[in-house]
Amino acid sequence: MSASAEAGATPRAEPEPFPARLLPWLLAGGGAIGLFAALVLIIEKIALLRDPGYVPSCSINPVLSCGSVMSTPQAEAFGFPNPLWGITGFAVVTTIGVAVLAGGHFARWFWLGLQAGTLFGIVFVHWLIGQSLYEIGALCPYCMAVWAVMIPIFWYTTLHNLHHGHLPVPASWRPSVQLLVRYHTVVLIVWYLAVALAVLQAFWTYWITVL
Amino acid sequence: MATKITSNTKITLIVLAVVTAVVAILVLTNRADTRSTAASADPGGGQPTVPSSVLVRPDSHRLSTAADGKVTVVEFLDLECEACGAAFPGVEKLRAEYADKVTFVMRYFPIPSHRNAELAARAVEAAGQQGQLEPMYRKMYETQPQWGDQAVSHVDTFRGFARDLGLDMARFEAAWNDPATTARVVADRTDGTALGVRGTPTFFINGAQFAGRPSYDGLKAAIDAELAK
Repeated sequence: MSASAEAGATPRAEPEPFPARLLPWLLAGGGAIGLFAALVLIIEKIALLRDPGYVPSCSINPVLSCGSVMSTPQAEAFGFPNPLWGITGFAVVTTIGVAVLAGGHFARWFWLGLQAGTLFGIVFVHWLIGQSLYEIGALCPYCMAVWAVMIPIFWYTTLHNLHHGHLPVPASWRPSVQLLVRYHTVVLIVWYLAVALAVLQAFWTYWITVL
Repeated sequence: MATKITSNTKITLIVLAVVTAVVAILVLTNRADTRSTAASADPGGGQPTVPSSVLVRPDSHRLSTAADGKVTVVEFLDLECEACGAAFPGVEKLRAEYADKVTFVMRYFPIPSHRNAELAARAVEAAGQQGQLEPMYRKMYETQPQWGDQAVSHVDTFRGFARDLGLDMARFEAAWNDPATTARVVADRTDGTALGVRGTPTFFINGAQFAGRPSYDGLKAAIDAELAK
């Protein structure tokens, strides 16, 4: 890929932009949070399987309820409990973050592998958000922790790969990529707000009684 | 570089502030009317209680009635809510034990995100018009795992329940789909919201909201405390 080779070879002394410097910390920290949430979910799932009358720690009321979310078919989208994806995936994400912090450098295909993994994660998470809000009609706090970390992990991985030319983009798109890198938190906050507003709208009658 | 970071931060904060402000305004304007009648501290001291005229309306369903009227337990419930289903056996046991000592009042609070909750409440209400409110109410909870938490309509399931109870189906269907039945169910929920009900099940024991987990033991202790007064 000539475009990426060119971008990688440019001997500019320009420092890494903030989003690229942030990425390893985000992978390590966000991955750890995701891993923790997935672990709790699978532990609660096992407890629920042992004792069908078990009330999970995160079943607070009808809207904030892991129990009702966990026992839906959507909670086993691929035929086994979803948190198993989280445990394996977030463990890898955390490890990559820590490895970069320890001075590790990786080949382009490695970064593309992370891109593919986080792309799967972000698509899956948004499908789950839709199911949770509009089909199941309940929110599970630990699942929401996973939503919250998956969005920045995907976004900053993508920015990193765009910036370093791992993801090939036509030369004419280069200015747009730089704009995204520059306004990285604007994209992030709009993304977060879109999800937050959807949650607010879907459970409006509940929120106005709580707030 | 410094100015670039600033403009990013600036736009981010502006977006955040604008959206937060809009949401805050929406929430404030919407809750203003629900708060006016909500629980207020009882001037006589003690636990805050809610106005009994709203808590138990003349048409509210009394599942059991105490001879002396000393203790009244009101439950706001959603027939589709798992936690309500979990509390149900305990409530049934208490009703059996305190049959003529405690008044149990059932009030509907179908959560809109539960697809079949309002439909179920209307079915109970419609069955009630043929004197079968309690059997239908019980049937709903006993079968909840079969129909709860699903995104499909359970009209046929509930119709089957009505048939099992031997209801006059034409009358049941008419009452079930009567806008007045819907209004009756929604009126209960509106009262609940006004009383500060946040979720289901919410119990009020002599006007005071029950704070603990609505287990058999927890409710029994609270009822005994009121009976001892």
